[in-house]
Amino acid sequence: MSEITKKIQEIAREILEKGEAEIVIGWEKGTFWYLSPPAFIDKPEDTQRLVWDEFCHNNLSKYLLDYKNHEGKVAIFVKGCDSRAFNRLLQDKQVDREKVVLIGIPCTGLKDQDKAKSLGPNGDIPKAQKCMECKYPTPLVYDYLIGGEEALNEVAATKEAPDFSDVKAVEEMTPDERYDFWTKQYDRCLRCYACRNVCPACSCRECIFDQTRIGWIGKANNSSENQFFALTRAMHVAGRCVECGECERACPMDIPIMLLNKKLIKDINELFGKYDAGIDPEGKLPLGHFDKNDPEEFM
Amino acid sequence: MKTIAKAKLPLVLELLAKEYKVLVPAKFEGVTRFTPYQQDVELALEENVIMPPKDIFFPQTEKMYKFKAKDKSLEIEEYPLEDAMQIIFGIRSCDMKSIDCLDQVFLTKSYVDPYYKNKRDRSILVALSCIEPMDSCFCTSMGIDPQKAVGADIQAYDLGDKIGFEAISDVGKEILEKISSLLTEEEVTLPAVGEFNLNADVEGVPEKLKEMFDHPIWDDISRKCLNCSACAYVCPTCHCFDIANEVRGEDGVKIRCWDCCMFDEYTMMAGGHQPRPGKKERVRNRFLHKLRYFPERYDMLLCTGCGRCVVKCPVNMDITSIIRQIKNA
Amino acid sequence: MAVTAEQVKTINPLVPIKGKVIKIVQETPDVKTFHISTMDDQKPFDPMPGQLGMLSLPAVGEGMFSITNKGENHIEMAIKAVGQLTNALHEIEVGQEVGIRGPYGNGFPVDYCKGKDILFIGGGIGLAPVRSLIMHCIKNRDEFGKLTVVYGARSKADLCFKEDLFENWPQVPNMDVFVTIDREEEGWDGHVGFVPAYVEELAPKPQVTILCGPPIMIKFTLPTLQKMNFADNDIITTLEMRMKCGIGKCGRCNIGSCYVCLDGPVFTMEQLKDLPPEY
Repeated sequence: MSEITKKIQEIAREILEKGEAEIVIGWEKGTFWYLSPPAFIDKPEDTQRLVWDEFCHNNLSKYLLDYKNHEGKVAIFVKGCDSRAFNRLLQDKQVDREKVVLIGIPCTGLKDQDKAKSLGPNGDIPKAQKCMECKYPTPLVYDYLIGGEEALNEVAATKEAPDFSDVKAVEEMTPDERYDFWTKQYDRCLRCYACRNVCPACSCRECIFDQTRIGWIGKANNSSENQFFALTRAMHVAGRCVECGECERACPMDIPIMLLNKKLIKDINELFGKYDAGIDPEGKLPLGHFDKNDPEEFM
Repeated sequence: MKTIAKAKLPLVLELLAKEYKVLVPAKFEGVTRFTPYQQDVELALEENVIMPPKDIFFPQTEKMYKFKAKDKSLEIEEYPLEDAMQIIFGIRSCDMKSIDCLDQVFLTKSYVDPYYKNKRDRSILVALSCIEPMDSCFCTSMGIDPQKAVGADIQAYDLGDKIGFEAISDVGKEILEKISSLLTEEEVTLPAVGEFNLNADVEGVPEKLKEMFDHPIWDDISRKCLNCSACAYVCPTCHCFDIANEVRGEDGVKIRCWDCCMFDEYTMMAGGHQPRPGKKERVRNRFLHKLRYFPERYDMLLCTGCGRCVVKCPVNMDITSIIRQIKNA
Repeated sequence: MAVTAEQVKTINPLVPIKGKVIKIVQETPDVKTFHISTMDDQKPFDPMPGQLGMLSLPAVGEGMFSITNKGENHIEMAIKAVGQLTNALHEIEVGQEVGIRGPYGNGFPVDYCKGKDILFIGGGIGLAPVRSLIMHCIKNRDEFGKLTVVYGARSKADLCFKEDLFENWPQVPNMDVFVTIDREEEGWDGHVGFVPAYVEELAPKPQVTILCGPPIMIKFTLPTLQKMNFADNDIITTLEMRMKCGIGKCGRCNIGSCYVCLDGPVFTMEQLKDLPPEY
């Protein structure tokens, strides 16, 4: 058992024993060695199920929405990206800071699940794409921090520069090529809404994509409905996406959803000034307020 | 047994494709699924396809009939049903069993579904045996023989570097006759099937679940579920559907499309009553449907051990683990 | 030409036939009864009491409704405006062409009720399915014992089928009709109070009870019926779930391993005890 796993089990046990929270949400080992799905622990003796390893992908902040009307406190473990998601929910007043205990884990980057599956446990498994571009591996907000300052230094050392080369490659396509590229990607979309349901920026109580009776979106699975879904989803999370990459990981059809999200991040940076979602819970959203200096070429 | 070298399999498919539409497991736009055979098709025979064959018989979106509604008048017109025969090559035992499950739903219990029946009646099924289970396979736990499928017209055998064919039905014999010039008759021994990584003991589970509707296990199991439909849409047996409209002015098409018991709209009644309001009720219904309700109604489980949901679930809801939890409850 | 249940199984059961609305009766501010015929003035199909029909304005949607009565050349559906389709239906006029398919479901156990005294309990729009059996009993009056109807609604305006309640049914031999509204109101000199209490007060002595209404009414009427020593088999009700196909395929109307569209909508209390309480 790793040192960090030992520490997270200890702290989870302490939190439950002291009654600081009623439930601790962390990760546990799943069906395969390369899966570490969410675990909901409400008994101190069950804290031994908790683990920390390079496959703890799930952004646990999302689950706080399930506990919105819950009276007691909930403790969750947060990586850098998860903490940004938490800030985002805080910014939208979706969660109450007082009702959440945050345990930060400085993250040195997770590994790519799909590649792990094909390379096997002894293979040289690369980092997940989102982690290679992560600007905030260290939790931005926490009540407890696993590993202390030392861990923070280690994380800082592993940080790599973000890069929009994949977005640029799509931008360089001709409009027809680009249309063809995205059409092919979204033609295989099943509209299972795993990307939406796993996304911490998707917090609407009633989602437009569930309004098929009213007719906002058709139930048929075809290019036009799928593209409407893809674009609306992307625009809706624009300025709120914390780059946790969960949408893309959750997609059963391997659609490069983050490419679309990153295009919007890049555009926002260029149009409204550099902005990273979920850094400042008090700040204004680039697409959520009007600034006199906003570009308005279309007017 | 009649055999052919694996490398020469395209010759068989090529020959059949002259007379029939032939669907083969292939990689198409980034996903493995049953795809119409063409010369440049990227066959995927190493492991089972991600998208099961159910959409051949029960497409995700299907037109039912068209209509024209203007003022008080209404015209309804059905679409003609196709009659061309098609061959589906390379269906694994788990997915053959799923077709058996779908047959129960769409072809029995008072009503026959004409859309499903039409596609089913004009399909010739060539099953393909497995020798090396994937990490997520547990078909044997569901009483399925990976080397011998139910309901096949032809059983094809993976013999390592060769493929063997055995005709099961009369139409299967006819098809084998057509390709016989490409095949060699030889004695073969079926290779042993590899070890299964996953398993589930379903003995007594449907009966035990009769008393477990109010069991606290459902609170626990459902908490991590995201209520998406990734599991249902990659499942070879999940068959729930919605009926909806596509209307453009006066013209409309009635379509049916896959639906999922995880969605709020699925059971939401006009007026707002929701009989299954939350994660717990929906997750419980899903697993009770697979492991209790379906066996009660059709005398078979609604799970074939294909393992797709285990792999594709974003939070690793694992039906084998749920079965264990039910057993231990 | 009328289509029998057997014939319907040989044609495409998911495609409606074209029908037309020949009469619309405003029952209450939000309930209308629609009389539906085929284009050649026939009954679209011949339902048993308690069976269902799928009615559609294809451009809006399709909905399953209980068939509240059948005539020589039409069927009747009493529909409350609660959602998208039902609101649209409330906008249509006589002559509107509609899609109709059915009949679906098991219907009431008519044979079992034969020769017995029957108590019908209805609340609000819940009288709609029950009425089909009442009308059947009236048409075949000799085959059934004493008929007692206890029906309640929120207010006088909300009472459905007023002509039946106050004019037609009271004249039927050996039939009693008791009507109540929830609260006192001007111009009402009838009974005031909730249905369960009224049933208890009336203390009828039937052999079979047919019960349909809002869940709250059913919840409070059941103890009364149990006090009256009914066997669970003799308390009969109808259930509702969201439905799409109507033929037991599309999945959503399941309660346990039963499909309401196919195995219901009529259930006895004895059957309900075996089903999960998920409706």
